[in-house]
Amino acid sequence: MGSGIRFLIMDDDMMKMLPEHLDSRRTWDAVQNEFGSTEIIFIAFGNKGESVYKSRPLADLWTLSNGLKNLSSVMEVSNITTSTRIDQVDGFMQIEELQKIQNLNSQEIKSIQLYLDKNNNIKKQFVSQSDEYLLTTIQPYDGVGLDQFRNDVVALGDSLLSDYDVHYGGTAYVTGSIPRMIRDDVQSLVKAGLVIMIAVLLINLRSLPAVGMVMMVIVFSLVSMMGFMGWAYRITGSDKFLFALLNTSMPIILLTIANSDGVHVMTKFFRELRFQKNVHRAIASGMDALLVPIFLTSITTIAAFLTMSSSPLEPLVGYGICISVGIGWAWLLSSFFLPALISLKNWDLDSKAIISPSIFERVIGRLGSIVIGYPKVVLCSGILLVLFGCAGLHKVAVDVNVASFFKPGTKIRDSMDFMDREMSGTMDLRVRVAGDIKDPSLLQGMDSLQTFIEKNEKVSVSYSVADVVKQMHRTVMDDSIQYESIPDEREKVNNLFTMYSMSGDQENFSNLVDYEYSTALITAFSSVMSTEEVFSFVNKVSESFQNNSFSLGRVDVTGMIVVIRDMVVMVIRSSFLSIFISLVLIGTITAIFFKRFLWGMIAVLPLTGAVILNFGLMGHFDITLNHVTAILSSIIIGVGVDFAIHFISQFRYLSDASSKSTISKKVIHDVGYPIILDAGSNMGFGALLFSAFIPVQYIGGLMIFAMISTSLGTLTLLATTTELLKNKLMKKEI
Amino acid sequence: MKWFLSFLTPFFLFSQSGVEIATWLDQKSAPKDLSNKARMILTNSKGKSRTSEMISKSLNRNEKQMIWFLEPRDDRGVSFLKVEHENGEDEMRMWLPAFKRVRRISAKKKGDSFMGSDLTFEDLSNRDLTHNNYKRLDDDMFDKVECFVLETLPKKEAESSYSRHVSWIDKKTFNLLKETSYDKRGVLEKDKRFEYELIKSFFILKRVFVNNTIKQHSTEIIFTDILVDMGIKSDLFHEKNLRRLPKE
Repeated sequence: MGSGIRFLIMDDDMMKMLPEHLDSRRTWDAVQNEFGSTEIIFIAFGNKGESVYKSRPLADLWTLSNGLKNLSSVMEVSNITTSTRIDQVDGFMQIEELQKIQNLNSQEIKSIQLYLDKNNNIKKQFVSQSDEYLLTTIQPYDGVGLDQFRNDVVALGDSLLSDYDVHYGGTAYVTGSIPRMIRDDVQSLVKAGLVIMIAVLLINLRSLPAVGMVMMVIVFSLVSMMGFMGWAYRITGSDKFLFALLNTSMPIILLTIANSDGVHVMTKFFRELRFQKNVHRAIASGMDALLVPIFLTSITTIAAFLTMSSSPLEPLVGYGICISVGIGWAWLLSSFFLPALISLKNWDLDSKAIISPSIFERVIGRLGSIVIGYPKVVLCSGILLVLFGCAGLHKVAVDVNVASFFKPGTKIRDSMDFMDREMSGTMDLRVRVAGDIKDPSLLQGMDSLQTFIEKNEKVSVSYSVADVVKQMHRTVMDDSIQYESIPDEREKVNNLFTMYSMSGDQENFSNLVDYEYSTALITAFSSVMSTEEVFSFVNKVSESFQNNSFSLGRVDVTGMIVVIRDMVVMVIRSSFLSIFISLVLIGTITAIFFKRFLWGMIAVLPLTGAVILNFGLMGHFDITLNHVTAILSSIIIGVGVDFAIHFISQFRYLSDASSKSTISKKVIHDVGYPIILDAGSNMGFGALLFSAFIPVQYIGGLMIFAMISTSLGTLTLLATTTELLKNKLMKKEI
Repeated sequence: MKWFLSFLTPFFLFSQSGVEIATWLDQKSAPKDLSNKARMILTNSKGKSRTSEMISKSLNRNEKQMIWFLEPRDDRGVSFLKVEHENGEDEMRMWLPAFKRVRRISAKKKGDSFMGSDLTFEDLSNRDLTHNNYKRLDDDMFDKVECFVLETLPKKEAESSYSRHVSWIDKKTFNLLKETSYDKRGVLEKDKRFEYELIKSFFILKRVFVNNTIKQHSTEIIFTDILVDMGIKSDLFHEKNLRRLPKE
């Protein structure tokens, strides 16, 4: 299975996360098909305090353009050197290059400056507001990997523009670079987490072979999961099995679950060995108690993760399937491979690891006394904590914008802020208009829509073929400003296009209107908007379409702004749907397996508390919910259900042989140690707190929280509940 | 004499250098004036097409040319006048019937597309023999016709948008039958095919097909109603004649 790793494809195209039937995705695909890729990279370069209207920066821009055009991944380069100008000169309609040659004299530079000042909408696409930076927009060929495209462009930009302050931006740049950066960051931090995990296990198990065996279960499970994902992609070719940004948490989750299985088997074996003094008997009695709970925890966790297959977000479907395979594999390994491995080792029965309890075992003894001594107080404290969480639920904010993934001061965030501040911004809105594009009323509608869009203070520029028509009209009419408008007759519009084709290259319009003049594209750029601003803006634009305010006929809207809106809706929907279905499934499976509805209810109790507390704390501490952090609830459920089932299983196991007064203490004593050891070792992933990326920090922090809340939830909420209900529970069992 | 020529022909054919073949091609006789109807079909990578139909009249190897658009209907009446001057400055004017105005338009760069087609102004103009290096490659058959194969390498002064052309030239008629052109990176950009019709001892183009392999765009121009040396007067090529469509 592991051999499938070679087929694993990393792809972080945000668009591929969206279901194909979604309107914004369909429109996005149509726009790419008709107008070329909209996944672009911006390069802005210049020097603070220096005007770009000088010979050297413009000559360097020329060199940059030529270099970019020679890259195999680049389809189109758009900047001053590649753009045309339309002028009216002594009765001439003159269409020529905005920058004709590489080395310009001062008069030629002045001419460019005057032209851009006269055409502010064009200027906004090429020069910063302060005239200190030159902007280049680069479009890749369709189907080119965005990471390759990003690497090509950045390598060239860095080599040619070393004397300048250079900034990169755009969806292709973000998609092409950020996920790899995050993954690299996570990889190094996960390694640190693993070291901590091994250290915690070593301190408590005090046996290198024992820790090695647990790690084998973990590593083999991880390899099989990743290999399965590779094979699944290889066989199905489905985007669901691409390794995307949100899949970054997948290995961490499986690691915690596999660790849990391994730790339970190993600690149980040590404890049994302590009393039985015989390896084979210790394995037999340990597995007798653990086979059922490990099987049940695996089944319930798989069921919980498989609920992701109902998610509208494509990668979550593959996520659920692949991690389920990993969990199944971890179950097989911990139930069969690990005991076999243990039996092969010659254990020293007099070693400290076996004869004396570890630090966590002693801690759990004290915890057990408190819980059993003051069950009502503990339960009330737990309930109060959950209520505190409830109070924070309504404050949870959703933000899927990747700009907010980075702290101010980091290179990439600074570049994004720069693009917003100095240039036209990098968030795009694309409006696809279908109809007779040479119809003056339609062009007028497009023009009015652009005016409407530009009223939003975050929108810096919008452009469409209507702008070109207006500019040509003015030029033909002796450059009179009063004619910078859409002509009133279709024939006039047509004459303008025909004239342009005789004097300029109609290819220049290829990103504005399709070949048959039946579809046009309005593009608007804005600075980064918050989620609320995105919703308000997209709703206003959508309302204007519904009311047909601009007489545009058939209009579709897409672009990063709309995608963010749709992602937010889907992240919320899929998170809550997945949590709800998981809890119901876990409760049902547990109830069926233990043949009692009450056990099902009790199993989901600590989980529900932990999930509420998790989201509540997110609300209290302004931790935003996004497609990366949304997965945290899965960690809680995945790990938490293990703890709960091990507790319940042990409770039932001991029901026959224990008295009512001692049962809870015995159960806490038996399962408390592996639970705490499991949670303690998993908390090594708190190393993620030191990540440079905000969502990864959140995962680190919430991971610690998840471990504390689920383990303590089980050992306090669940323990006190069973303690309070023991008469009912034990009577029934007996 | 005939015996002497037939003796010389194989010798001539085998001994021609690249420059000599290019010179022959350049000096091929052409009619003084030419009139035709042209149907131009542009097809993009998605298979969508645009068709235009126009009447063209030209004098002295296109030194002066007028084009009147007939199709599509939207373009009917739009007309175009080009006059080449000896100083290299071309004068181009356009009649825009909807605006009822004649507008002068600027001369285009060599690498710019001609009317949105895959032919650039460079493709349409004669190559200056001194601005290119020529090399004869191994002869080849094209469409069952024995051809010279000529490689043309533009010099810097040619300011070409290409790095190389390879041309298949009919050994008997010296008609260019096929040409492949390569961009600055040396990648095949255009594959051009030419067909001719013999009219009054001149081989006149009747079909051109250009496939732009990079843009995946093609252009087909079919010439009909071809008339040569009909005595077209120089004064036809005047702004005032743009406003009236000639008789079809």
